[in-house]
Amino acid sequence: MAPRNPAQPSPTPGQPTGGLRDAVIVGGNRVPFARAGGKYSRSSNQELFTAALEGLVARFGLQGERIGEVVGGAVLKHSRDFNLVRESVLGSSLSPQTPAYDLQQACATGLEAVVTIANKIRLGQVESGIAGGTDTVSDAPIAVSEGLRRALLEASHAKSAGARVKAFTKVRPKDLAPLTPSTDEPRTGLSMGEHQAITTARWGITREAQDALALASHQHLAAAWDSGFFDDLVTPHRGLVRDQNLRADTSLEKLGGLKPVFGTRLETAPTMTAGNSTPLTDGASAVLLASREWAAQRNLPVLARVVDAETAAVDYVHGHEGLLMAPAHAVPRLLARQGLGLEDFDFYEIHEAFASTVLTTLAAWEDDEYCRTELGLDGALGSIDRERLNVNGSSVAAGHPFAATGGRIVATAAKLVAARAAQTGRPARALISVCAAGGLGVAAVVESAGGVEPTATTTTTSTETEA
Amino acid sequence: MTAPAGTRVEILAEVPALGRSFARGAAGSAVDAARRTLPGAPGGLALPEVAYRVEHVATDLPDVAARLAAYRRVVGEPPPTGPVDHLPAGFLHVLGFPVATALMVRGDFPLPLVGLVHLANAVTLTRPVALGETLRVTAWAENLRPHRRGVQVDLVTEVATSGETAYRGVSTYLAKGFTLPDDVTAAASSGTDDRRETFVAPVPTARWRLDAGTGRAYGAVSGDRNPIHTSALGAKAFGFRRAIAHGMYTAARALAEVGPARGDAYDWSVEFATPVLLPGTVDVAITRGPAGFDYVGWDARHGRPHLTGTVTPRA
Repeated sequence: MAPRNPAQPSPTPGQPTGGLRDAVIVGGNRVPFARAGGKYSRSSNQELFTAALEGLVARFGLQGERIGEVVGGAVLKHSRDFNLVRESVLGSSLSPQTPAYDLQQACATGLEAVVTIANKIRLGQVESGIAGGTDTVSDAPIAVSEGLRRALLEASHAKSAGARVKAFTKVRPKDLAPLTPSTDEPRTGLSMGEHQAITTARWGITREAQDALALASHQHLAAAWDSGFFDDLVTPHRGLVRDQNLRADTSLEKLGGLKPVFGTRLETAPTMTAGNSTPLTDGASAVLLASREWAAQRNLPVLARVVDAETAAVDYVHGHEGLLMAPAHAVPRLLARQGLGLEDFDFYEIHEAFASTVLTTLAAWEDDEYCRTELGLDGALGSIDRERLNVNGSSVAAGHPFAATGGRIVATAAKLVAARAAQTGRPARALISVCAAGGLGVAAVVESAGGVEPTATTTTTSTETEA
Repeated sequence: MTAPAGTRVEILAEVPALGRSFARGAAGSAVDAARRTLPGAPGGLALPEVAYRVEHVATDLPDVAARLAAYRRVVGEPPPTGPVDHLPAGFLHVLGFPVATALMVRGDFPLPLVGLVHLANAVTLTRPVALGETLRVTAWAENLRPHRRGVQVDLVTEVATSGETAYRGVSTYLAKGFTLPDDVTAAASSGTDDRRETFVAPVPTARWRLDAGTGRAYGAVSGDRNPIHTSALGAKAFGFRRAIAHGMYTAARALAEVGPARGDAYDWSVEFATPVLLPGTVDVAITRGPAGFDYVGWDARHGRPHLTGTVTPRA
């Protein structure tokens, strides 16, 4: 059936960049990502995020600095961590006068934090900001069952000892089993992997294509580590110096030998394995953003500017659209507003929730029918040069500590465009997209903004693309 | 009321207790069961031409509100979002069920309560019923007809508020092994049920993991504590390997998961194919069609459907 509201690429409401100053990315820092139950099995979200912050402070000399705002979050969060980011700031060597707040948008938390900080900088509300995120599966909160929770609440509200005792008489033995967090979608009861398996089948993505993408992710990440790309983006933590999930020596044979783990109950043959999916991971990341003036005053580098961003959500509950397909919707809207084509990028950073998430997104953009009916476009959005995709690896190899992924990707993309611009003498541009639970997805454009072409604006870039 | 012509309305002072009906039904079932060996006997099988009615069923009582809240938790209905608390259609079914059950345990009801199989259910909610309204509940039996495995009958329950019918539920039950006196040939020639052979699982949109206590939980909020739902031993006595989920629990859960798009007034139907053993996992597809929502629940391991149905908003 036809969608009720075909997503029309929004016409540009005025000049989005008109009158606004740039928000620039100074740099990033993260801890190496650890496999669940690995090196960080005794580390809390707060410890990991504080470590990411401290690395950033050390790298850019921010000791005692009052930052405009620190924004971040965690997806798996204990209720005691209500002010996780502020508490992390207080535990860091930043000025205790640095304000902070928690933000949470599932796996898009980190990228949304970057967008929100960039917007405040562009509006002139803050001069600097740190965006990031942290997650640990190893130290995830464990909740009590609904039956025990109700009894505990009732007992705490009880006015007499007798009433308190009575509250507990309703507790049944099965109520004593703890509840651990799961990646199941609350409205469907299907895990994220099961949802993606359905999307994968719908788009006919093969096992071979997924394994090839997974292999490329490991090879690219390994090469980036070997070349020293992460030397100024990662600070070792608890004895871990590289991403623990990285398998530099993996091969198509090894990946091809793994048994499918998702989609095994579907009518179609399952294709998604532990090898072409992201593992559960622990880690944290942080990105320093600023106005050009603030960075210049402190003699800090400027890698890139945040050009624009778009968040989309899809109707996945009754299967109209795939759970992780929102970036497919966000990107064309973002491109339309910026007057850009899908081919106008030097780098594409598409978060690998699963290898097939990237492949279904690319397949969707190449599908004429889909782009017309679902995205409201005139035809297929287009193809990308796969040589420019996740050139330094992505989540399948690095791991995906949910809220920390956005910061990892933004820092990587900023460094990539800065290096490319320095190399070619022309501005370089990256497209970033991150899918998230709840049918959410965030896309962003970052563009080199260093010494090369400080006056590079949307106007000049759109002229170039029209040429 | 749209009961068959000639139906006499008998007023009950209050909603009959389900427990008493079940006890009576269990005792009467043995007598009924003996009758099935006499197809074509003089008089044959005929339905009592009686409707039971309870004139004033109050819903402004704290225990109804508490039961509604518990019902919602069990089947996954969201809490009310506005100042008026509309009763889910499944809850109206639960409120009317004891009246229909009382009718089924009358001495002159021809089929045994014990062993009846719930085949299908069709509900029309023409306008919303709010918590606090006084309900007039009427129930009768109609449309006794052959089924390839016995005899089926419709139990109709109507709920009216302010004298106007708001809800009509038709529950179709099968009594296995019974035969209608004048329909022997029709019963034999009604064809085979090839649904199992032709079932192709759709793409799931949801998955239900039902724990062993699901039957006890729905039993507590519906009052239907039939042992086949609440205990493995009870289920074994009726030939099931484990306890089975209430069919209406699964249908109510599908109705809840259609979400706010169903509107305030809707048609809600279900056909039950095979029982859901507890604990168990049901793969589910709830999809939007041109007129409303279709849903299917199935056993993905064995490729067997459990239930199919529709939820159609009323314009």
